[in-house]
Order: sequence, then structure tokens, then C-alpha cells
Amino acid sequence: MRHLLHAARWILLLQLLLVAGFAHGARSVSVISAQTNYQVEVLSHDGVEYVGLTDLLEPLGRVESHVEGNRVRFLFNGAEAVFEQGNTQCRVRSTRVDLPASFLLQDGRGYIPLASVGVLLPKLAELTAEMHPASRRIFVGIASIRYTAELRTSPSRMVLSFSAPVNPSTYMEKNRVRLLFRREPVVGGTASKLTYSDPFVRGVTFNESAAGAEVAVQVAQPATVTVGDGGRTLTISPAQAAAAPGATSPVAPPDAVSNPGQQVAPVAPPAVKIARGKAFVMLDAAHGGADAGAASSPAEKLLTLALARRVQRELEAKGISVVLARASDVALSFDQRAAAANVARVSLYVAIHLSPEGHGARVYSTLLPPATLAEQDRRAFLPWDLAQAPYLERSAQAAVAVAGALNSAGVTARNSAVALRPLNSVTAPAIAVEFAPLDGGAAELATPVYQQKVASALAVAIATLRGRWEEAQ
Amino acid sequence: MISRKLQVFTVLLVLVILAMAGYFVHLKRKAEAIASPQLQQALVAPVNGPAETTLLFLPNDEDGTLRATSVTLALPSDSGERARLALHTLIARGMEKDSPHPYGAGADVHDVFLMDPNSAVVNLNQSLVAGQHPGIQNEQLTLYSMVLTLKAQLPQLARVRFLVEGKSAETLAGHVALSDWMDVAQVQQSAPIAH
Repeated sequence: MRHLLHAARWILLLQLLLVAGFAHGARSVSVISAQTNYQVEVLSHDGVEYVGLTDLLEPLGRVESHVEGNRVRFLFNGAEAVFEQGNTQCRVRSTRVDLPASFLLQDGRGYIPLASVGVLLPKLAELTAEMHPASRRIFVGIASIRYTAELRTSPSRMVLSFSAPVNPSTYMEKNRVRLLFRREPVVGGTASKLTYSDPFVRGVTFNESAAGAEVAVQVAQPATVTVGDGGRTLTISPAQAAAAPGATSPVAPPDAVSNPGQQVAPVAPPAVKIARGKAFVMLDAAHGGADAGAASSPAEKLLTLALARRVQRELEAKGISVVLARASDVALSFDQRAAAANVARVSLYVAIHLSPEGHGARVYSTLLPPATLAEQDRRAFLPWDLAQAPYLERSAQAAVAVAGALNSAGVTARNSAVALRPLNSVTAPAIAVEFAPLDGGAAELATPVYQQKVASALAVAIATLRGRWEEAQ
Repeated sequence: MISRKLQVFTVLLVLVILAMAGYFVHLKRKAEAIASPQLQQALVAPVNGPAETTLLFLPNDEDGTLRATSVTLALPSDSGERARLALHTLIARGMEKDSPHPYGAGADVHDVFLMDPNSAVVNLNQSLVAGQHPGIQNEQLTLYSMVLTLKAQLPQLARVRFLVEGKSAETLAGHVALSDWMDVAQVQQSAPIAH
């Protein structure tokens, strides 16, 4: 009996530890910036929520911290901030800043109150920072997007006007159209719920959750979404009205309405257009977080990130703007990577992989099932998994061109095609490059000489491709 | 005083015990070696059928190619079983010592279902997936070698779907998608076949 009681006590203790662990894991905030998005863990101390300053800043730039007794000196891209344990004041760029709670120094790491992020980041990083408490998201360097909902008649339709172009995921459900803004800092108006006594539009609701901001329009019959004004206006109208001559596309297919929960992506023009003012290329360092990638030392996830950064530097030196899908060791799902590329509206998406096996480089474009493609040709919207369809030919051409340019730059390369995620959901020409050792074994992948050689070759290949597209344009 | 006889007997007894212990350790190691995953090769079941010449597309990780290799196999008349046996043989080749495209211990194909003459569903076992070397090229070679080997068995084959333990999987080992049908014509066009 005594043994049983003892065992039961241990089981209870283990359960408590597990529950505590899960509770701890669930406490985090999402940081969304123009370059990347990532999670920062939140620490609760004396009823106040704190975030690690290094965790918060590292993905955004170069961070150094020096602990001297009770004082911590942070350097972010050269700007200085000094904090003191237990003090509710700090010094940022020679200016005193009041904190809502005292600074916390724990295990040699500095933590600031979560509520102070909106004040500290603009001063230290010279970036705007907006906290959305409901969804626990912090938008860094991105201005809020506001919207107005206007009910128009003859025919009945709901016009949503946004202060900046948006590109939401659209879900057509029975009697409801859901617009989910995963990365855009859309904020609601004065009322989170509007109701109408209209034969078509019944109401509009706004919600924020960890998944993003959502505008839902309740409708009385199947609806379509029309994008206008360069993505600033979304019009939800009855399906028949949108199908009338002169209606602007893209238009959701009627059967998407009858398929609740289906995610659709707007069809984009197939021609490659180099968007001015946007990053030209997204470099996606494969793997990250718990997904370490191929077995190598260091792990593939770290090598791809280091390589992506080198390629970024090389390209920026050539005047080509780059955005990284991830700038730190964070886990991103395939869908998050594709969504990031689509939101950034880049002209080219390049996934970077490394493999200890084989030799040289392999450049891939994706494959989509031809039967499904033929069926989708007749539709104005594409399923998320087939969003790459209009760009397949351009992607294949890009793979050939990049392989050719790599060969010219001294890196043996060949091109091929295989069904690859997340390339199938990217709405731009998309390729994956897998680098293998050039002369030596697997250990060569981690050497600076190798990394620089392949980074330079890939940068030259991307620059050559851009030059060709510019000529064609 | 212990007699000399008893001393000799004791020494002999100790020697016998040591010898038996040594023999026991030897038998144990031998048994472990037999059970070793490295030796768990996919064994091709004997088939009562006429020997036929067929093509296997053997992958090579080093040069990233597939080599069409003629083999003589005794194959049954049932199409699904013929296809499964051909893939079984393909994997068994990969499990040989110094294979240029190694598979994990116990890798195999559970079944090949023919939905119609044009469509085949291949049910991979978990060991094959768990032992798959990750990487785009490695995964492409594994899947394309199977598709092309199946096509050699089933000339009308137009599309192939891969399942893992009877369930749909997103990717083989983190790279190549398994979530949709593979078009055989596309595979034939894209496959890096060594000439």
C-alpha cells in the first residue's frame, strides 16, 4: 500500500511538471517584421510579462550584450541601451526611458517588460513597433492597416477599403466569406461587429487571434471576392453579379463556395514582372527550429541560414534587394514559407538546401499533376497547393538559367524537376537549389571557403537571371 | 591440507567454467550479429513462375542518376504482385553492401494496388521512410526509381501515388512531396537517367 501511494505521488508530480511545461511553452508572442516573423518566449515574473531583449532583437539585426554586475549594456546595430536590475528606468541612445516595470536580469540574460516593447524598439532600433495584445503579435517596422466597410446597393455588395494593399487568404464558406490576414497588421474599426438589414450582406465581424486578423462577411447567398485598386479594395458580391460582363477578376469559382473551408489563392498573371520597390528575391534557408535537416555538423538548418546570409550580402552588393524567409533558427512550416513569399510579392523565390551526398549543385523546379492543372485552367481561383501553376514554365526556365550560370561560375550544376513543397504554393517563379560538396567530403559544407564560393556563384546566377528578365521586360 | 587430486579437479572445473562462459559470449555475439539491422536485407520470396528479363532503375547518390539494369526474375502472373516483387528486388539491391543508394534496415514495399491499368498506389513501410537519407536528390532518386521500375512492369501506367503504412504523407523525408499523384510521363521526362 505504501509503495502504491509513493508511486501515485510520483505520477502526480510528473503530471504537474508536464502541465507546467506545456503552460510555459504556450506563453509566447509573435513578432512580424518586413523581413521575417518569429516567436519570442514570454517569462512571467511577479505577475509581469517579460521578453528577452536578445531574443527580441537578434532576428532584426546585430546584437551584443555585456553584463557588468547588475548592469547590462546592449548594442543593437551600434545603438546603445543600458539597463539595471530592478530599475524602472533605462538609458537608450543617451535618453532616459521609463519602463512600466523593473528590468529583470536572470541567468545572465536581460528581460524587459512586454508592455515596454512599443516604447523601447522605436528608440533603440528606430523601427515602429505595435503590440496587438488580443493576438499576442508585435508588428515591427510595419504600419497598421485600417479598413472601412461600406455597404453599396444596386447590386447589393460589401466594399472593404484598406489603407494599404492587402493579400488575405480567402475562405469561402456557406453564408460567410472569411478573409484572413496572417502577416498584414490589419486593425479593426470602432465596432468589431456590424449588422445590416440587406438582402445580401448580413454583417461584418472583425477578430484577432494568434493566426492573424480576420474579417468575416456574413452573406445570404454564395459570394465572390473581387480585388481592386491594386489590392486596396475587396468587394464581396453575389456570385451571379460578379459573373456579369465587365466584372473585374479574379473571381472565386461557385464550387469553392459549396466546398466549406477550401483555401483559395488568386490567379496572378503568368508573365514575370519585376516589381519596383519590392524585394526581387526571397532566399529561404531550408529547415530550422526542431527540423535540423540532413545530418551534418553543424546541422543543415544552420548551414543553409549562413549560406542564405552570404548570398544576401553578395546580392545586396550588386544592388539587388533580398528578403530572407527566416533570419534566425526558427521553425517555419511549408505554408508559412510560401505565404511569406506571396505576401512579400517577390519576383523570384529560391529555397536553399545542402546535402552531404553527391557533388556540385542541383537546381529544381516543382512539378504539379497535369490532370489537375488542366482542370484548374478553367477557373479564376486556384487551390493553395496549385498556386504555382501559372509560373511553372517560368520556374523551369529559371532552374535551367540558374544551373547554367552556376556552371559558368565554376560550380558543377544540373537542373531537374520534382514535386517539392513549398514551391507548389508560391505565386512567383520558384526554384530550390541543393548544394553538395565540390571537392571534398561532407565536412567541406561548413567551411567558409566553400560557403563563399557557392554563395558568390548563386548570387551571380540570380543577378544574371534578373538581367535577362529586365531585358525581356 | 587439500589433496593434490582435489586441487587438479578444482583447476579443471574453473577452466571448464571459463571455456563455457567464453563459448556463451561467442554464441550471444553471433545471435546479435544475425539480428543486426545491417543484415536485415529485404529477401525476395521464391516464386513459382517462368524467369523473365525485366528492368530495374537503380539509383546512384554519388552522380545523382538512375541506371536501367536488366535482371532476370521469376515473376508471378498477377500484375500487382509482379509490381510489388519488382520493387522488392529494387530495394533489396539497395540493401546490398556498398550500395550507391542505401536504404534503412527493414525497408520494403507492403503492397502495390492497381486501381486501374493506368493508376498504381504503392504502400511503403515505415522503415523505408525512417531510413531514407534526407535531401531533394536522394528522395527524388528513391521515388523516381520506383516509378520507372513500375512503368517497366506496367506499360499502361500513367500515374503513381505513394502511401506510408497505408496513410497519405506530406513528404518522403522532408523534401519531395507525396501528397499528390505522380505523373509517370513527367517523371520519365525529368528523371536523371544515365545513358
